[in-house]
Amino acid sequence: MSNPFGSFLRRVFIYGDNPLINSYRENYLRPPGAVEEERFMALCIRCNRCLEVCPYDSIERAGWGPTLGTPYVLPEAKACYLCMACTRLCPTSALDTRLKNPENVRMGKARIDFSICYSHLFLEHDTLPENAGAKIGALCNTCYNVCPFPDKAIKLRDNLFPVVTDECVGCGICVERCPVRPRRAVNIVPTGMGRVDRAGFYYRKARKFYETSLTPGRTDPSKVLKGKDLLDKKQRIQGGGERPKFHFPYESPADGEEWE
Amino acid sequence: MLSPYRRMSQIGVFALMFVIPVLNSYEIYAITGTYYAINIGGLGITDPVAILQTIVASGELAPPILGSLIFPALLALILGRVWCGWMCPYHLMTDVTAWLRAWFRKRILGKSEWEAPVVPRPFKANMIRYGFLLAGTLAAGAIGIPILNYVSAPGILSTEAMILVRQGTLSLEFGFIAMILLLELFLFPRFWCRLFCPTGACLSLFRTPFTMTVRSAVGGGKTACCKNERCTEACPMGLAPYGEGTDLLCTNCGECIDACSAKDGPGTLGFTGFG
Repeated sequence: MSNPFGSFLRRVFIYGDNPLINSYRENYLRPPGAVEEERFMALCIRCNRCLEVCPYDSIERAGWGPTLGTPYVLPEAKACYLCMACTRLCPTSALDTRLKNPENVRMGKARIDFSICYSHLFLEHDTLPENAGAKIGALCNTCYNVCPFPDKAIKLRDNLFPVVTDECVGCGICVERCPVRPRRAVNIVPTGMGRVDRAGFYYRKARKFYETSLTPGRTDPSKVLKGKDLLDKKQRIQGGGERPKFHFPYESPADGEEWE
Repeated sequence: MLSPYRRMSQIGVFALMFVIPVLNSYEIYAITGTYYAINIGGLGITDPVAILQTIVASGELAPPILGSLIFPALLALILGRVWCGWMCPYHLMTDVTAWLRAWFRKRILGKSEWEAPVVPRPFKANMIRYGFLLAGTLAAGAIGIPILNYVSAPGILSTEAMILVRQGTLSLEFGFIAMILLLELFLFPRFWCRLFCPTGACLSLFRTPFTMTVRSAVGGGKTACCKNERCTEACPMGLAPYGEGTDLLCTNCGECIDACSAKDGPGTLGFTGFG
């Protein structure tokens, strides 16, 4: 069992796994509308038409390896802006040519790594810890602000925590703009990554990241107020006794149409 | 004289593969794609080998794929394998390579320009390229990847041109083109189109008795119709055009017709069929 060559042979000849296809890596996405990886590798004729028409230069061509010549979106460099120019041009339906609505794209799903996300760190510690890699103490929420489907794909829990929902299309704009370095706090898990049995031999490498992004994984000194406790405390704070009164000398018109 | 028209056509197609990415970068999508699959104003044209491999590898038959087979099939059925002789960008490069090789042989080595092809018998050459096509298609079905596209010279060249225009670099597949060009220059003259090219092999299969071919007006058969046999020397595919004009290897390039009529008036070779 432990023999890697034996397990390779077993996977290929008993389970019928194909070692050359199904290579999943985090932030390694197929263009929008791509069919499942195994069919994609068979259908894609490497004509690179999608790459050629991409107005944002988002689609990259895969280099040496089993996927040579196939199109990829690498959101850390350049995300997909969902213009849907590529899907209708695919000659072999490796990209679903009928897909026109960007909301129906499922390239992957964003996953926020709570252990390094600035917003979560700040709410846990009230200030960013030394090892956060930045000295800014602020609620970042960049991913929420740049998301093409805000309040659908990314919601703000308690108006503070960015949380990804199932509506996420996996375009990767949040990954491109995430300020956390070197590893981004939000990453895209490509569609099909969860299927361990069908994922390719590159899966194991990605799986490590996949699991660390699932678990918060960080233990803190118990003195520090965090999460709900911190929120409760912040809401109880009375700033200077009396709340400031805002004065607006402006009255909104009853009917918005009569502006002249 | 057919040769100037042929060169114009070849250079035009060669230039087009640089023009398409430039147009696309200005968001003009009237013509998109590379020579694996191209779309000219809604008319889809796909390399038949790519279609064949896609069907074998994925086990499914999508109607848009078959639709893009119509134009190349009709072109090959009417005019023969003119893609290779008149359009293919790799064939233009191999023509230049052959010219360099002939110049080198004549001026430096003092030998004759003409030399026998690598596999002299056309039947054997055909067997090799259909064996290669069959093996590649079976391999594509076995591993689920259209693997012959990695050795499709026009497709690679067109992709490299696109990458060059868009990113200013070349990808490593250009090494393959450079390798076969160097092999043709120094070791095996014109071997790729004649012995291996899967696209050419597949296009040769679209053929009827009415397809345009080269035929001799007199004699024909196994005996040459004149003493000079300039047509045989001119043929890039190493055929003897007076008798083997109907061979699957012929690309209808017309070099033999030009050579036949070059010096002593109208020659005996000409195109027959639909053309």
